[in-house]
Amino acid sequence: MSPHLPILLGLAALSSSLAAEQRVDFNREVRPILSDRCYGCHGPDADKGRKAGLRLDELAGATKKLKSGDRAVVASDLEQSAMIHRIRSTDPEEIMPPPELDRPLSAAEKDILTRWIKQGAKYERHWAFVTPVVAPLPAVAELTWTKDPLDFHIQATAARLGLKPSAPADRATLLRRASFALVGLPPTVAEVDTFLADTTPDAYERRVDALLASPRFGEHIAVSWLDLSRYADTWGYTGDKAMFAWPWRDWVINAFNQNKPYDQFLTEQLAGDLLPHPTQDQRVATAYNRLHRMTFEGGSIAEEFRQDGINDRVMTASYGFMGLTMECARCHDHKYDPISQRDYYSMAAMFGDLNENGLLSYHGEVPPPFVRLFKSDTDRALETKLSMEVRSAEQSLKAIPPAAPTTAVGVPLPNVYLPLDVFTKTGVDDAIAGNKPAKFERRGSAEDLQLTAGVKGQAVKFDGDAGFILPDFKQLGRFDALTFSAFLRLGELNTRATVLHSTGYYTGDGDASGVELLVTQGKLRWSVIHLWPNSAVSIETVAPLLVDAWQRVTVTYDGSSQAAGLHVYLDGLEVATKVIRDTLHAKPRDNALEIGSRSRDAGFRNGSLDEIQLWRQALTAAEVATLHGKPLAGVSAAVLKEHGRLRTNPAYTSTWQNLQNARRALATHQESAPAFFAMEHSALALPSYVLTRGDYDKPDLTKPCPPGVPTHVFPWSDKLPANRLGLARWLTDPQQPLTSRVVINRLWAQVFGAGLVASSENLGMQGDLPTHPELLDTLSVDFIRSGWDTKAMLRRMVLSATFRQTSTPTAEAREKDPANKYLARGPVLRLTAEMVRDQGLLASGKLVEKVGGVSVQETANRRTLYTFRKRTAPPDNMLIFDAGSREICQPKRLNTNTPLQALVLLNNPGFVEAAKQLAVRVTKEATHPAAQITQAFRHVCSRTPRPAELAALTDLYAIQKANPPQFAPPPPPSAPVKLDPSAKTDAKAKVKAPVTPQEPVLPKMPADPALAALTLVCSTILASDAAVTSR
Amino acid sequence: MSDFKPSYDSLLEPTRRHFLGTAALGLGALALRGITGEAAAAPLPKGMHFPAKAKRVIYLFQAGGPSQFETLDPKPLLREKHTQPLPDSVRQGQRLTGMSGYQATLPLAGSFVDFQKYGKSGIEYSDLLKPLGEVADDLCVIRSMHTEAINHDPAITFFCSGNQVAGRPSMGAWASYGLGSMNENLPSFIVLVSQDASKDQPLYSRLWGAGFLPSEHQGVQFKAGKEPVLFLTNPEGVSPHARRGMLDALGKLNADQRAAELDPEVDARLAQAEMAYRMQTSVPEVADLSKETPATLAMYGESVKSPGSFAANCLQARRLIEKGVRFVQLFHQGWDQHGGLPGGIKRQCQQTAQASAALIKDLKQRGLLEDTLVIWGGEFGRTAYSQGKITKDSYGRDHHPRCFSLWMAGGGVKGGHVHGQTDEFGYNIVKDPVHVHDLHATMQHLLGVDHERQTFKFQGRYYRLTDVAGHVVKAVIA
Repeated sequence: MSPHLPILLGLAALSSSLAAEQRVDFNREVRPILSDRCYGCHGPDADKGRKAGLRLDELAGATKKLKSGDRAVVASDLEQSAMIHRIRSTDPEEIMPPPELDRPLSAAEKDILTRWIKQGAKYERHWAFVTPVVAPLPAVAELTWTKDPLDFHIQATAARLGLKPSAPADRATLLRRASFALVGLPPTVAEVDTFLADTTPDAYERRVDALLASPRFGEHIAVSWLDLSRYADTWGYTGDKAMFAWPWRDWVINAFNQNKPYDQFLTEQLAGDLLPHPTQDQRVATAYNRLHRMTFEGGSIAEEFRQDGINDRVMTASYGFMGLTMECARCHDHKYDPISQRDYYSMAAMFGDLNENGLLSYHGEVPPPFVRLFKSDTDRALETKLSMEVRSAEQSLKAIPPAAPTTAVGVPLPNVYLPLDVFTKTGVDDAIAGNKPAKFERRGSAEDLQLTAGVKGQAVKFDGDAGFILPDFKQLGRFDALTFSAFLRLGELNTRATVLHSTGYYTGDGDASGVELLVTQGKLRWSVIHLWPNSAVSIETVAPLLVDAWQRVTVTYDGSSQAAGLHVYLDGLEVATKVIRDTLHAKPRDNALEIGSRSRDAGFRNGSLDEIQLWRQALTAAEVATLHGKPLAGVSAAVLKEHGRLRTNPAYTSTWQNLQNARRALATHQESAPAFFAMEHSALALPSYVLTRGDYDKPDLTKPCPPGVPTHVFPWSDKLPANRLGLARWLTDPQQPLTSRVVINRLWAQVFGAGLVASSENLGMQGDLPTHPELLDTLSVDFIRSGWDTKAMLRRMVLSATFRQTSTPTAEAREKDPANKYLARGPVLRLTAEMVRDQGLLASGKLVEKVGGVSVQETANRRTLYTFRKRTAPPDNMLIFDAGSREICQPKRLNTNTPLQALVLLNNPGFVEAAKQLAVRVTKEATHPAAQITQAFRHVCSRTPRPAELAALTDLYAIQKANPPQFAPPPPPSAPVKLDPSAKTDAKAKVKAPVTPQEPVLPKMPADPALAALTLVCSTILASDAAVTSR
Repeated sequence: MSDFKPSYDSLLEPTRRHFLGTAALGLGALALRGITGEAAAAPLPKGMHFPAKAKRVIYLFQAGGPSQFETLDPKPLLREKHTQPLPDSVRQGQRLTGMSGYQATLPLAGSFVDFQKYGKSGIEYSDLLKPLGEVADDLCVIRSMHTEAINHDPAITFFCSGNQVAGRPSMGAWASYGLGSMNENLPSFIVLVSQDASKDQPLYSRLWGAGFLPSEHQGVQFKAGKEPVLFLTNPEGVSPHARRGMLDALGKLNADQRAAELDPEVDARLAQAEMAYRMQTSVPEVADLSKETPATLAMYGESVKSPGSFAANCLQARRLIEKGVRFVQLFHQGWDQHGGLPGGIKRQCQQTAQASAALIKDLKQRGLLEDTLVIWGGEFGRTAYSQGKITKDSYGRDHHPRCFSLWMAGGGVKGGHVHGQTDEFGYNIVKDPVHVHDLHATMQHLLGVDHERQTFKFQGRYYRLTDVAGHVVKAVIA
């Protein structure tokens, strides 16, 4: 074994190489090998993934007698352990792992497995699934260096590598480092001066407290949570329309600024709606689970995308809160971690508990369920008051008793009457309005609609694709009454057929909005819909219609916004119906009524209609009977008395008007507040089943999955509610092994550049091992004990001696720990996309500071987290600096170094403008060029330039000033950039004129030679290493 | 900076030197832990697993889903049965999109355009693709492509990255990651989007994104005009000379910083700035089509003179691969003919056919075709039946993922060859199906890459372009 190998294998192996028979550490040495090379075929996936019936992730499986008669592992018996023979074999048929895996075992790894079996093949629970405990403080050589218990762990671990703590960083550097770590911005020149002048012992501590108290803190710390939660400003698929989500982003910023305890932070986002008497803010927090992408692409299948949305929620929450890759178990049992496919779909049941549509409306309305965003308590109180008024008006109406009518029952004159006896050139005539015909719609040829013998004269038979539209019959709102009556004959038992609707251009159920009369499986479904299925009232007949028989169908809606206001009559008598939906939350869209057809939907194929009549009022049951010619003697007394109540009692009319006015007032007030997507538990949510291979259309009905969690990670208590609130309680249980470790690791990464577990997104078996397991565990326990206090934890980290060290390595330290995993020196960070831009803005004096609000364009000079994030076209300069697209959960960013970054820093209009403004600023602040340059350098890099740096920059200044900029003639003006990301996407193949590519508008240097030279100097500073790093 | 290395290598350098210099060899991926913190699978020498037949790829992506019936897969039966309903025995209950799924009838639509045989191989191309006839013996037509997604966004994402889910690296990013650049002054993966196309379905930057690979592997979009690459052009009033002065000053700043901080990353950063400077010269040079001969320009057609047209982009693609760019992907939108197909597809072919053929000829005459793989195709095919009514002179076709056609040329594929076959309705594949994963595997194979071995560990799992599937289609390889 090479003497240098231990560096690669970590600290445990260090000592093992010195004493070959050192005991192996299962978690640290053995499991990573088994997981990486063996579990793929011999792991927890019980499905067809497991080879030879062997599973190596548990003792029983590993020691079981296999079909071949062998046992893979026989404790302490190398000869009998088939694993040893297989890993040592040179026969490509025999050797394990098989050559095609392309990850052979090294000699050292074989040695580990061999010693493990020799020493008794002991299994241990995966470290991250064991509740953390506080570790004793290790002994350290330099006791006076330590400031926090965490320093003991860091120093002790580094010492084992032969590393000693470094000297403290100089104070300006430390202040810059702490500022970036806590607020994402450099300190100002004044802040640096004040800090350097403050020699009191607690100067740094006070500065740190000020940073933690600044509103900039939340703006900065929020960013990584926004990455994890895939927060953006557009929906992300085809067309990529604007998504109204920024109130949730502001909730996150405020939560961090108010130092909301992390357990509440988690609970409100996962289950704010399920808390007792949730506040508006708590419901806004639940938008966390609604931020995933949604499509409105024509032809999309709602269930496919509903399942994708649920998967996204499960994936996002498991990365964000648990550090697990749960989505692997969508198609099969997890290959590495103890998460079965059933566990996955139990979690899916937790996150799919909404009455929702998988598709976004083509018109981009906020997809229900939603919460109304009232601006003030007063507005919220007014909603309560108006609701009470509706209830009281309803009581008044109820109080009016039924009574026999005082006048004879008559049928009011309809507003529209289509006898359907002859076709005109464009449609059929309305016998009431005379010259206002119903027009043919979606008709390719004259044969698409046929006149056939009807009940009275001719009738119309539909082909399923063509129909009529009544252009003037509009304004069918939620408070507008309607009656439709016609003789109807099914030509087949239609599984789905549109008889009547006012939903306009339709691309799927995601945007059906209006009244709708459907035949489904031969039954009649009568609905008023805002957005299906969450915001609608809908009833369906219990019995199917007859086929090949004329029946008079009359449907009424009284304008009450309630399912009780919908009625269906057949041949003059009301028929039994069941309520499908009874929650209409907003007004339907306003489209003309269409009969027999609908775009992209099944029309009334093979069905016929005759004698269509429409009323802008709801006929009473007695009127419907009369219309059909039923002798009133055959109608029940109750029907007659109800008619009397409705029609011949003047008190009823006025009370009804009052009620409708109250309902309108409430609706107007509610709809004045923006709708904001949120979670809302619904009994109507579809049940969850294991989906075979994860396919949305292959639910295994023998495997229903009620809400649940992966109990092998941490047991479930039956005392918890089996819903998202229970999930939140399970996650924030003080014994939960993952939650606090995941947070601590993330906070650590924010402060020190990398997590104690480098794979901060995955603490499972395939994740990296912690560099400092005892430290991670201790901090995790401390965090819970502190009441999940995020600011306090960050404060400890930033005040530690570890954080305060200089980042400049000794040659030895760099050789032993090139990536600085062991922190025997201070952290170095390449500024993130947000930091690097915000720094330029702050230095130039142009940063506009305002917490929260609608997302903006870059030219607004707000902090970068407020830049409008279009998912399919994220801001280029941010992508180039490793920010993601926010299409899906991003647990961490890479940190690359590319030529395009240099181009952004030197040529991006925003950065050039920052350089220009910085030049203007320092011209005002100092007179001599050297002083101006020094000042500019300090604004950006938070320190005074060293002599060589100043010399390089003053030389540059002198040369540039002597060569003032030359300008080409001015370019033609270009169109302004539109913020609205919505694009017309309907697939209409229109020939468009070739577009000449739009030339970019280049930023321009100032004409003044001195200012131009200074601008170039500032630009150079902004691109320098001193600017783009925090050291 | 003559000894300058490609970016990722130089970024890894301090770490790699450390490990390779002092650690035991043979630990493979474990040893190559990048500065990013992600374990990188070890790129073998030159990133290849076996000798490559193709050094580079030009992918002419036809977004929207071109109809195979009017281009590459003649179906006389559909003409015979024009307007008759699609038999249920053919459809076999397979899913349709919500666009035509509720149509009362599904009338078969015969192609409005004729097919002719071309070349020695006698492969049939529709009259809309007549120019391709001249290079028929160089093309390999696959008529048995199939995919999993039925809507544009998932399907095009699947085609470009091997997965419907967003966030996976694109084809070109994998090629860049695995094989690196052959020209240190140009990005290794370049994307060109036609400006003359009808933008019926949008494109997304994820289609050429790096996914979880380091961002330097993301496709760099080249645009026609004075700034071919974003932020390439100096601000107005900054001369190249002034920029050189800035970089010299930057060099001094960073040298001083390096000395003070002892951090090799500072050098890497300066090297990237120098490469950016060189790109400022090399990119406008390669983007300048004005030096092309009149004969060459004529070959690509009149529209080559419109900056950013498909024709201009084809020519641009040739210039880029000549300079050593590894992967060039063109996107031409406008193939989504749900209705008005005859007119629409005619326009699409007018915009693309001549230039596509010219590209093959141009590559061939320069000796580049043999090691440049050219692929033409979209994200799915179209239905044998009409979406909407068939009228006297028009019809439409809905999305069809179950079979579609594309062609390949050069780079080690068989010329004058047809692979795969669909049934006489053009609804199902009857012979040699080629899944998108198979195409990816084959493309990687031609590049000398074993698609099962080029992996990247991310979130604890080894990912590859072909996910857990894909077979090299040996039958199309010469």
